[in-house]
Amino acid sequence: MKKRIIILTSIFSIIFIFGSFSNVYADETKQRVYDYANLLTDDEIARLENLSLQHGKEHEMDFIIVTTQDADGKDIKPFIESFYDDMAFGFDKPHGNTVILALDMSERDVMIAGFYKGKKYLDDQRATLIREKITPSLSSGNYYDAFTQYIELGSEYMEYMPGVNPDSFLLKTWFHLIVAIGLAGVVVGSMAYNSGGKVTVNERTYTGNFQVLERKDIYLTKSVTKRRKPQNNNKGGGGGGVTGGGHSYSGSRGKF
Amino acid sequence: MVIQYKCPNCGDDMAFDSESGKLTCGSCGRTESIEDFSDEYITTRFSVDEAKEYVCNNCGAAVITDADTSATSCSFCGAAVVLADRVSGIHAPDMVIPFQISKDEAIQAFKKWCKNGRLTPTGFMSADRIKSMTGIYVPFWIYDLHSIAKVKARATRVREYTQGNYIYTETKYYDVHRKIDLTFNKVPVDASEKMNDDLMDKLEPYDYGSLKDFKTPYLAGYLAEKYNYDNKELFPRVKSKVSSYIDRYISSTISGYSSVRYEEKRVDTKETKAHYVLLPVWMVYYDYDKQEHTFAMNGVNGKVVGKPPLSMAKVSAWFGSIAAATFIAAKVLTLIVGGDIW
Repeated sequence: MKKRIIILTSIFSIIFIFGSFSNVYADETKQRVYDYANLLTDDEIARLENLSLQHGKEHEMDFIIVTTQDADGKDIKPFIESFYDDMAFGFDKPHGNTVILALDMSERDVMIAGFYKGKKYLDDQRATLIREKITPSLSSGNYYDAFTQYIELGSEYMEYMPGVNPDSFLLKTWFHLIVAIGLAGVVVGSMAYNSGGKVTVNERTYTGNFQVLERKDIYLTKSVTKRRKPQNNNKGGGGGGVTGGGHSYSGSRGKF
Repeated sequence: MVIQYKCPNCGDDMAFDSESGKLTCGSCGRTESIEDFSDEYITTRFSVDEAKEYVCNNCGAAVITDADTSATSCSFCGAAVVLADRVSGIHAPDMVIPFQISKDEAIQAFKKWCKNGRLTPTGFMSADRIKSMTGIYVPFWIYDLHSIAKVKARATRVREYTQGNYIYTETKYYDVHRKIDLTFNKVPVDASEKMNDDLMDKLEPYDYGSLKDFKTPYLAGYLAEKYNYDNKELFPRVKSKVSSYIDRYISSTISGYSSVRYEEKRVDTKETKAHYVLLPVWMVYYDYDKQEHTFAMNGVNGKVVGKPPLSMAKVSAWFGSIAAATFIAAKVLTLIVGGDIW
């Protein structure tokens, strides 16, 4: 009887310890929405916090939203970098998996940046896709809708393998239908075409002797054209970097 | 003049047997080697009006043929008959490839071929409506050709390199000359008006190793045609047949360039030799769905050509299953990379 109690207590304590372990970083009270520019109501903030937490748990990711009036006088890029360094976001650990959406109201700049797993699953291309999709809502002032869309799209895109463009036509049903019908048409067509028998002779069947009697390759002249190397300047496109704290990230910025 | 082959044993008509390659008597089974068949048993008879009518030596009935036939069988008594004047003089073939597939083997081979048709209607696949199966020696010219090709071309070689802030594209121009000597051996061209050229081209290749000097007994028991076009008339056709081979060889000798533009291409093809040969073809006439379908079979290797009817049900079944399988595969791939099912 005593033995059984001991076993049961140890099982319960193991469950308790491991259960609390797995919840250590999924901090329900952690703040994820920083509305310094006062764009949202308290109710909206609460709903966004909840949404961010739900999707964050799914992907072990902190979805952070930050709005600022003047970005402390900085450009939005250094602003995001120091914000991440200072706040040490991360679902799994401080300075861990994070995606940040930042709005600078004075410059009307918007930027999305991904750190660690966020960088891997939300690369420059995907960050740009999300930014372009939420820009219309931001421009018309529907900040809550834009932020909701950002979290939901980010969460959805993270289900795709890294490197895959989630909006690619290769993943669309109409494309699959065209490929299926096209391939079947080509295969059945060639079967029907070849049903009457194929020509099975080639030049080798009747070839006696082929030889080159004279061969001349005379160099005449040359012409050289030059053009300027294309410059890699990212205007409102993708582009990450490394923060002052040494954390590398992917990102995409633009105006709204 | 009509030639018939009498069995030295029993006097019945003999015919060529594809298995043994000898003349064989249908009654007593005696076989005779074609090379040593004695002339005394070849009965010949001149008709009164030879140009119009041939008369069977056995039964005296008129042998009814059309103007191009050089071997047939008597429609009354079935005796194998060779029309001698149509295989002599300018119409004498140089060589012949005797049949190596007998009628029974041809029927089996044809049935097997029908079963392999993935789009042929099931009713057709059983191959039980073969209307007739005729062994025909089809006249061909086989050409030995010698070509000299002189080619002038302008070719370029393009190179790209980067220096400083610029990308340079360097194009070098070359004058290219080639003189090429090409020979072709035994390119066959069908010389009969009746035979479909496409069908005959697809029957190739023939095994030239079994070419024999022409002897009339090889024709006994089969149909044979004489040529309608001589080697001069068919020369343009053989030239066009080898021209693609020549073009391909020419371009293979001009390699390593980014672009080649031909300024002059002169191909002078001459006939070094042309042989008139008879090649064995089984013609299969097949009734299906109130239509007659014609097939041809190479009498040496059994290759069958000709368009079988298509079964719409089978076409749609193949189409549907390939399309469905591809669609499912595409969807599975989408799911693997993380996409949604729709």
